Amino acid sequence: MSKHVHDYYAKKKHDHDHDHDVHEAIEDRDEGPPSEFEIMSRAMQELLEEKGVVTAEQVRRSMEKFEEELPYRGARVVAHAWTDPEFKKRLLADGKAAVSEFGIDLEAERLIAVANTTDVHNVIVCTLCSCYPRTLLGMPPTWYKSDNYRSRVVYEPRAVLKEFGTVLPERVTVRVHDSNADMRYVVIPMRPQGTEGWSEERLAELLTRDTLVGVTVPKVEVGSRKSKGGSKTR
Amino acid sequence: MNPATGKQDGQRLPSTYTAAPGHRFDVGDRVVVKRSNPPGHRRTPHYIRGKTGVIERICGAFPNPEELAYGFDGEPKKVLYRVRFRQKEVWPAYRGPAHDVIEMEIFEHWLEPAQSQKT
Amino acid sequence: MSATHPKKRAADIGGDKAGAVDTADHGMKFWERQANALRTALRRNGLMSVDELRRAAEDLGDRYAKLEYFERTTFALRTVLLEKGYFTEESLAAKMAEVRKRFDVPRKKELPVKKKVKR
Repeated sequence: MSKHVHDYYAKKKHDHDHDHDVHEAIEDRDEGPPSEFEIMSRAMQELLEEKGVVTAEQVRRSMEKFEEELPYRGARVVAHAWTDPEFKKRLLADGKAAVSEFGIDLEAERLIAVANTTDVHNVIVCTLCSCYPRTLLGMPPTWYKSDNYRSRVVYEPRAVLKEFGTVLPERVTVRVHDSNADMRYVVIPMRPQGTEGWSEERLAELLTRDTLVGVTVPKVEVGSRKSKGGSKTR
Repeated sequence: MNPATGKQDGQRLPSTYTAAPGHRFDVGDRVVVKRSNPPGHRRTPHYIRGKTGVIERICGAFPNPEELAYGFDGEPKKVLYRVRFRQKEVWPAYRGPAHDVIEMEIFEHWLEPAQSQKT
Repeated sequence: MSATHPKKRAADIGGDKAGAVDTADHGMKFWERQANALRTALRRNGLMSVDELRRAAEDLGDRYAKLEYFERTTFALRTVLLEKGYFTEESLAAKMAEVRKRFDVPRKKELPVKKKVKR
C-alpha cells in the first residue's frame, strides 16, 4: 500500500473550503433566452425537488465536484505512475484498486488503465453514447461526445488522430478501446524525454485531458518553465 | 485480484473486476460475436457483430444492461469479457496496418467459440 | 433486409460515415452542467439507472441525429421519469410554463414534445 497521502483536493483556482452556501464563481444562468430543453430540464428538477427525491443542494454539490475536483484527478494519478513504476504496475493490473489506494474514490466506475509504449498507442471512445471515466477526468469534451468522433475513430483512428495533430508511424500499433459496457478507460501516455527530475505537480501539467483519452501526446515545450502538453483546443 | 478466477487476495481495496464463476471462455480463446439483431437496448455495437476476436481479459460478472434498460434488476449477472479484434478483420476497407486492433467489452451471451484455430 | 428487420439503434453509430471532428472543446453551458449534475444526483438517489437513460435516448430514433447531446439526454430523462410516474406530461407542461414565465420567454409555437392522446 502506498504511504503517500496526496492532497488531490488542492484546487488550481481556489483555496477555500466549499461548505458555504453561495459560490460566486457559478453563475445562475447562461446569457440569452433559454431553449425549450433548458426549460424542460429546470422544470423537471423543480418537480423532483417538490417531490423530495432530490435537493437543490445535491445538484449544486455535484456541479461543484464536476467543476472543481474531478478534472484534476487523472493527471495526478498518471503523473504518480510516471514516477513510481510499482504504482504504474498496480494501476495497469487493477485501475480501481490502485486509484483507491491513491486516495480517490471512483464510486461506481471501474477503471482500466492502458499504457502507451514505443510500439502501441491507445485511444478511447464510446461509440454508443459517451461513457467516460468521469470520476477520474470530469466531464468529457464536446468532441468526445460528437457523432463524428464516435463514428469514425473506430474505423479510421489514424485519420482522426491526425485531425488532433497526432501522427503515428505505421510500425506503431493503434489500439482503439470502445468503452461499451461497464469498464472505463484512461491512457497512460509515455513520459516525454527531458522531464527527468520533475516534480509530480510539474509532470501533471503535461497530462492534459486530451493526452489521457489518447488523441494527443504530452509535449515538453523547450525553454518554457511551465510546459503545457498536447492541445486541448485547436 | 485475479480477474480470471475472481479470487480476491485478501486486500480490501475496491476492484475494477468482479468474480466470474462458471465463465465459459478463457483469456486467449478465439470467439465470434453473434450475428444477431434483436430489437431493444444492446451494448454490442452493430459493427462488431459476426466478427472474430480473441478474449483479452475477463472483467467479471455484471447485471445485464439489456434488462437494466427496462427497469429490471439485470439478474442473473452475465460474464463480461474484453475482446480484441484485428481492424482489418472488422473493416473490409481498413487503411491502417494489419497490426492495428480494436478492443471492447462483450457479454458472454453474445459470444460463441470460433471454429478456426488459426491465430 | 426484410420489412420486419429492425434498424440499427439510433445511438449505434460506430462505423458510420461522418465528417471531420471539431477538435476544440466547447465546454458546457450552465444549464448543461446543471442538467448533468441533476442526472448524477438522481442516479445516486436511485431513481433510475444510466441504462434506462441510454435506452430512452436510443428510442429517439430518427430524432436522435437531429438533437444535440444535452437535448438528447434531457429528453431521455423526461421519458424515464414519466415512465416511473415522477410527474405527468400535464404537470411537466405546467411547470415548464411557470419556468418559461420566470425567464420571460414568449411561448414558442412548436414544442419539442408532441401532446399524446389521453387514454
